[in-house]
Amino acid sequence: MVPPQYYLVLAAAVFCIGVFGLLTRKNALLFLMSVELMLNAANINLVAFSYYWGNVTGQTFGLFTMALAAAEVAVGIGIILVLYRNFKDVDVTEAATMRW
Amino acid sequence: MEPALLQADQLPTWTALAPVLALAVTGLLLLVIDSIDPNDTRPTLLAGVGTVGALAALGLAGWFLSAGTGQPSTNGAITLYGDALIVDGMTLFFQALFASVTALVVVASYDYLRGRAYQAEFYALMLFAATGMALMAAANSLAVAFVALELASLPSYALVAFLKRDTGSVEAGLKYFLIGALSSAVFAFGISLVYAATGSLLLPDVYEALAGDLTGLTGVAGVGILMVAGGFAFKTASVPFHFWAPEAYEGAPAPVSGFLSSASKAAGFAVAFRVFVTGFPLEAGVDWVLLFQVLAVVTMTLGNFAAATQEEVKRMLAYSSIGHAGYALIGLAAFTGAAGGDVLGASMAHLLVYGFMNTGAFLFVALAEHWGVGRTFDDYAGLASKAPVASVAMSVFMFSLAGLPPFGGFFSKYFLFMGAVDAGFWWLAAVGAVNSALSLFYYSRVVKALWLDDAVSEFELGSTPTALYAAVVFAALATVLLLPGFGPVIETAQSAAAAIVP
Repeated sequence: MVPPQYYLVLAAAVFCIGVFGLLTRKNALLFLMSVELMLNAANINLVAFSYYWGNVTGQTFGLFTMALAAAEVAVGIGIILVLYRNFKDVDVTEAATMRW
Repeated sequence: MEPALLQADQLPTWTALAPVLALAVTGLLLLVIDSIDPNDTRPTLLAGVGTVGALAALGLAGWFLSAGTGQPSTNGAITLYGDALIVDGMTLFFQALFASVTALVVVASYDYLRGRAYQAEFYALMLFAATGMALMAAANSLAVAFVALELASLPSYALVAFLKRDTGSVEAGLKYFLIGALSSAVFAFGISLVYAATGSLLLPDVYEALAGDLTGLTGVAGVGILMVAGGFAFKTASVPFHFWAPEAYEGAPAPVSGFLSSASKAAGFAVAFRVFVTGFPLEAGVDWVLLFQVLAVVTMTLGNFAAATQEEVKRMLAYSSIGHAGYALIGLAAFTGAAGGDVLGASMAHLLVYGFMNTGAFLFVALAEHWGVGRTFDDYAGLASKAPVASVAMSVFMFSLAGLPPFGGFFSKYFLFMGAVDAGFWWLAAVGAVNSALSLFYYSRVVKALWLDDAVSEFELGSTPTALYAAVVFAALATVLLLPGFGPVIETAQSAAAAIVP
């Protein structure tokens, strides 16, 4: 059996790739994909430790996370669509009419 | 002898969720009404159904609170669905708060939405968001906390971007969504780490596991707790996930801004109080009390200083709402274990008072937007001569937010700061008091503009939006009446908070 620490390192690595994507990409769709990576990192942990602890709580919650990620993308794509209609671009830095 | 039907403690246990169910059913009903007759927009029917649903939820929560459902006076907390949901005094207190704010905002939206498309969707989304918030207050498991938080967040993103041809609204929706998606991913990863260290998602089990021996997983649990705190920081608009708030509140339709900055923020605190107090023991992995002390001080200072430099009223209110998140964080920052119920309860009472005064302030901004008055302090000059009633209400909100004596906001802040002093954190109270003094500067600028300054140009206000006016006046009445009525409120809040302290 693979020791559980390996899963933690893998999940942390996937999470960090997601964070890197968030910080460097300007395209809203790539931003969404990076968030998906971060959520999937959480899923790796949940499933691996569900096996480690011998209960199905983690696996079940993993399914919940996936469903919610899909719902989030559905709302997100809608917002990105109206962003495109208003700004003629999906670059998140374009939408800066209000000062930070 | 009352008839048996009217005694809340004799109903089946699932009925303890009635406030949540009332909100959810109302949301669905609005969609049904819309699908029966999609082309005929009947704002009165839609707003009426929404208001009745929110008031029903408020009535149920109030009835349960007074009947002692889930409280020590009957059989203690009611847990449902394998302990994943819990109904106790704190749940009902927050549900009453969400239902009141929802009712106010739905009534106010009647005038704000006049002549716009997709009204049924607007009200339905608002009721669904309120359902999510009511469920957040009932979460007894990290899984429920996450799902309920998303149920509250997803409709809110759509509501902020509701004016889809308005670039400000779309931009606000985008920023709110991006930060929200990021923070929910951080929250989910934090939950997965806590699960990795403890093997459970139920808060009492997590508490037990964290208080015991973690066999080398202490660091994992600590990082997990920090990330969970990050998820709550987004929902409550506190540092470090606060920077969406000014944009989202400024760009969103004003009733939505009021809804988000009061109800949504309180929902974040409801679940944060429950998760940290009942889920994470003080000595587990990370000193979260210290974390919240830092966050509280930074949040209130940043919010108040930024608010003082604003030129636009709505944006000032957004930063002031960040400042108030800092005050409410004192509930966790001065938490000392067994005796922590007092300051926690004071924080809950502050959130209730804040719910009325802040929603009212944003609804006044909605009124100004309806009249086409500008957005800056200068544009508000001389408004009192045209709309004296609304201006009196706005002055009440401003002085109450600043914490001046004859209004509800004074007592709630007083109890909050006294709670911090009693817990031995006098410096937290001192920072809060200094910030309150500073806040008086920018709140009084609004009052000065309304009453003392002369209008720069002649303007006509046009029609009087009755529903919006009624909502503003009612919020002002509630803010004033919470001064004599503060005794029962603080008692309920503190006993509810004391009941959850393990």
